[in-house]
Amino acid sequence: MFRAAIRSLLARKVRLLLTGLSVVLGVGFMAGTFVLTDTMTRAFNDLFESTYSQIDVLVRSENAFTAQTSSLDERESIPESVLQEVEAVPGVARAVGDVLGYAQIVDPTTGDVIGTFGPPTAASGWNDLNGFTLEPGGSPPQGPDQVVIDADTAETAGISVGDRVRILFQGPPGEFDVVGIARYGDGGSIFGATWALFDLPTAQQLLGKEGELDSISVVADEGVSGIELQGRIAEVLPPGAEAVTAATVTSEAQDQISTGLGFLRTAFLVFAFVALFVGAFIIFNTFAIIVAQRTRELALFRALGASGRQVMTSVLVEAVVIGILSSLIGVLVGIGIAFLLQSALNAAGFVIPSSGTAILPRTFIVSILVGTIVTVVAALVPARRAARVAPIEALREAQDRPGRSLRFRIVSGAVVLALGVLPLLYGLFGRPDNALQFVGIGVALTFVGVAMLTPLFARPMAGTLGLPIRRTGVPGKLGRENSMRNPRRTAATASALMIGLGLVVFVAVFGASAKASTTVVLERTLKADFILTSPTFTGFSTSAAEDLRTVEGVETVSEVRQAEAKVDGGTVFMTGIDPETFDSVSEMGVLEGSVSDLGAPNAIAVHQDVAANEGWGIGDTVTVEWPATGEVDLEVAVIYEENGLVGDWVTSLETYDANVAQVLDLFVLIKAEPGADIAAVQSDLESALETYPNIDVQDQASFRDMYADFLNQLLNLVTALLLFAVIIALFGVMNTLYLSIYERTRELGLLRAVGLTRRQTRSMVRWEAVIISIMGAVLGVVIGILFGVALQQALAPEGFSELGIPGGQLVFYVVFAAVLGVVFAIFPARRAAKLNVLNAISYE
Amino acid sequence: MSATNEIAPPEARTGIAARAVGLSKVYGEGDAAVRALDDVSVDFERARFTAIMGPSGSGKSTLLHCMAGLDTPTSGQVFIGDVDLTMLSEKALTLLRRQKVGFVFQAYNLVPTLTARENITLPLDIAGEDPDQAWFDQVVDTTGIRDRLSHRPMELSGGQQQRVASARALVSKPEIVFADEPTGNLDSKAGQEILAFLRAAVKDHDQTIVMVTHDASAASFADRIVFLGDGKVVDEMLEPTTERVLDRLKSLEG
Repeated sequence: MFRAAIRSLLARKVRLLLTGLSVVLGVGFMAGTFVLTDTMTRAFNDLFESTYSQIDVLVRSENAFTAQTSSLDERESIPESVLQEVEAVPGVARAVGDVLGYAQIVDPTTGDVIGTFGPPTAASGWNDLNGFTLEPGGSPPQGPDQVVIDADTAETAGISVGDRVRILFQGPPGEFDVVGIARYGDGGSIFGATWALFDLPTAQQLLGKEGELDSISVVADEGVSGIELQGRIAEVLPPGAEAVTAATVTSEAQDQISTGLGFLRTAFLVFAFVALFVGAFIIFNTFAIIVAQRTRELALFRALGASGRQVMTSVLVEAVVIGILSSLIGVLVGIGIAFLLQSALNAAGFVIPSSGTAILPRTFIVSILVGTIVTVVAALVPARRAARVAPIEALREAQDRPGRSLRFRIVSGAVVLALGVLPLLYGLFGRPDNALQFVGIGVALTFVGVAMLTPLFARPMAGTLGLPIRRTGVPGKLGRENSMRNPRRTAATASALMIGLGLVVFVAVFGASAKASTTVVLERTLKADFILTSPTFTGFSTSAAEDLRTVEGVETVSEVRQAEAKVDGGTVFMTGIDPETFDSVSEMGVLEGSVSDLGAPNAIAVHQDVAANEGWGIGDTVTVEWPATGEVDLEVAVIYEENGLVGDWVTSLETYDANVAQVLDLFVLIKAEPGADIAAVQSDLESALETYPNIDVQDQASFRDMYADFLNQLLNLVTALLLFAVIIALFGVMNTLYLSIYERTRELGLLRAVGLTRRQTRSMVRWEAVIISIMGAVLGVVIGILFGVALQQALAPEGFSELGIPGGQLVFYVVFAAVLGVVFAIFPARRAAKLNVLNAISYE
Repeated sequence: MSATNEIAPPEARTGIAARAVGLSKVYGEGDAAVRALDDVSVDFERARFTAIMGPSGSGKSTLLHCMAGLDTPTSGQVFIGDVDLTMLSEKALTLLRRQKVGFVFQAYNLVPTLTARENITLPLDIAGEDPDQAWFDQVVDTTGIRDRLSHRPMELSGGQQQRVASARALVSKPEIVFADEPTGNLDSKAGQEILAFLRAAVKDHDQTIVMVTHDASAASFADRIVFLGDGKVVDEMLEPTTERVLDRLKSLEG
């Protein structure tokens, strides 16, 4: 039986190829993700090891926890005097102080800032222990006018030694002469971060840290261990400061990267699993078709004495072989994909230090296991059907055998659908802790349930969709008939497409709803005439707002800042607003207290839902844990209902500044004087902001558009990744058609004998493809909309109040699916047309 | 009876529906070459029922396939009417089959997803033409399948399927109908019905039919039998009866 299985495999190589293709692609995506993230992890680990190897101990301020979302370490500064204390400690060979802060370099040619969102943009002091090495031809910075910048930035912006650059800070910007270019480790910089290096006093002054330091790097004397030295230094430090060994700092840095990459890996793996899920449908369908085609052969085995179990095993053996082979190829493809992704990231500015591609054994093992398991599980049901083939069928004509009874199918399909819908709804509306897992499983099972029920209406649906095609002539009519003749097969093929497009449509509905909701929220809450923001919603210098107060026609300038904090162990985002001016630029929907009450020391405002959940009222104490300053008690002074702009947790700028190390503005809201010429004010604002190329002046409409663009970029990225799954599904369409043609050889021969031309034959196959594709697309649209509605309803309390259904986009997707269906039908169509008529009609 | 391998001059044969001239079909090369047809020349008269008989390997099916434009000869020519099939492109051949030729095969004559009616009108539908309604009715009634017109092939017996196939072959009024063992899969009663119907088409409606068969009693329905052996025409019989055919076959095999 084993040999028979292998022989049958080899006999149909094309079939083997097409079947395995979907697994190859899915496994490839997965393996690629692993290889990419492993490579990046190793690269960074090596990098940090080497740079921190130069020091033994690091002195810095303690922090309560590390904020994931802040680009630079949120810590307070320590007084400069600590440096002398540390130098005096026995065993210290050298101690060098440094500062670190936000800085953005302006590209002298384009006038834009360098650095997109993600990697940090920073400035610090120049010393020989910070990991940077000067390139030949430059010199270290000296004095208030000189700067050394990192090599990647220099290359991107075409800056060389001798140029003059403008740099933005938390405070006012400045212009400097570039006296050197520096490399970090082997690469130009760390993961695309931009870096400006000044001499220490200049850095301190620019970053607003005169008389302060952010860190002290310590080198130990010969023979003194890092741990020993750390203990000694800790004794002389003031409270709030700590000394850690280089090893600790290294592993902290490595952990942070690891966590960040972990998110990236999980995100990509989700897409890989979607691809594999779709692939499983293809495998199932393919094996179902193959078993049906081999009925006579299998019946012969049974007639000769093979048991049902042996027959089933032979099918599963085929599945295992295909699974393993495809997974192996998939890993190789994955390595290629990783390479591509790496280049793409490099091009986008996220430069990865090169240290060879990391292909861990885990990648191989997991990929092969997953690929094989998916293939075998998908082939299980067809394999069991094979076991039920009766010996007598060796003598009969292979017509489409009726499957299990209709009732069984309805019941089992409904059960699976329920098993999917319930966790989905629970995850969305019940809000358990691991909601995402519930939603994920719910979505998967819902798809399976619908796919199980689809054959029930596949025939009428295909018939209806194909009605207009009947008029086009015999090929169209035959194509439509063909799509209706085997509802289970048509349904399985269309279902794969349904999954891919369903998710794409879901994302589109989600995006449209987000945009619609934002518009509504903005209209309701925004009273300002202008909003200042950076295009990537990252923070910008607070001195910009300062400069604008003097612009003619401006009545109010109100700043908004935001930082990560924790309440009760859970991450929250604290927003800082100006209690005096915020009310005139934005509507908070205050229910209790008033906005100006936030002016009291250590006051906090919370959203009504938060207050209700926690049982808080005016006067209650909330303990907020800030990364830099630790736990601080704040008193509830205001309860409000509009959280669209400011989120659920708000405090005054004063309280914010006291607890946050990196103070940058997120928005600045500006109101013009009544009767002022809006256009004139806008152009005056823009002139005033020329020194800050990273800030845009928007009115409400353009802000809404900008936010929509931002959202679109994200959505496009997600959709592009989902299209991978759609492509796999379309390969499934191609596969099904190809196998069906093989099955209909005699019929095709007859049609050709009776006078159907090659072109008409191709056309017939294409029409069948169109119907199947449109069917999958329509199902996908329906399910995608339902998922989108469910999500929107679930998130409505969070400001997701509006449902948006992008009709035009959805129609486009259906048409797109139909067109791609035709493209993927080209290969099977040509095969059908190329049949030698004589061989076909004599085919046994 | 003598073998008729010669070709008479065209002017003297106005009643020729199709003709093979020096037809050869060779498979393989050199020592392994198989001559399925060896320089065969034969005429098929209009409005006549001609049968081609011979043992397996005699080339009878090959001859039929070449005559019908389903296979290309290695050398020689095939004419349907005045058209030389060997000069036609693939597309022209397809059109010829659609317009001028009718087929009945041993099995798999019908498209499973179409009803009997749709199967009958299939070649006309492909051409985008309407059938001659009176002729359609006549054919349908003669084959006795009017009450099965809306059924799919799966719902028809073997005999009924072949009747539908025969109806299809005739509905477009082709110049010639080629039948390849049409009764091979049928019981004797159903087979006799088909043969009677084909014969009636020839006698009553001047249809030209060429049939390949190995069955002596089927061949007896024909006006003329051409005997093939080893790729050549070896004999011919006019006005055959089952006994005479059986005798001839025995002597040919001896």
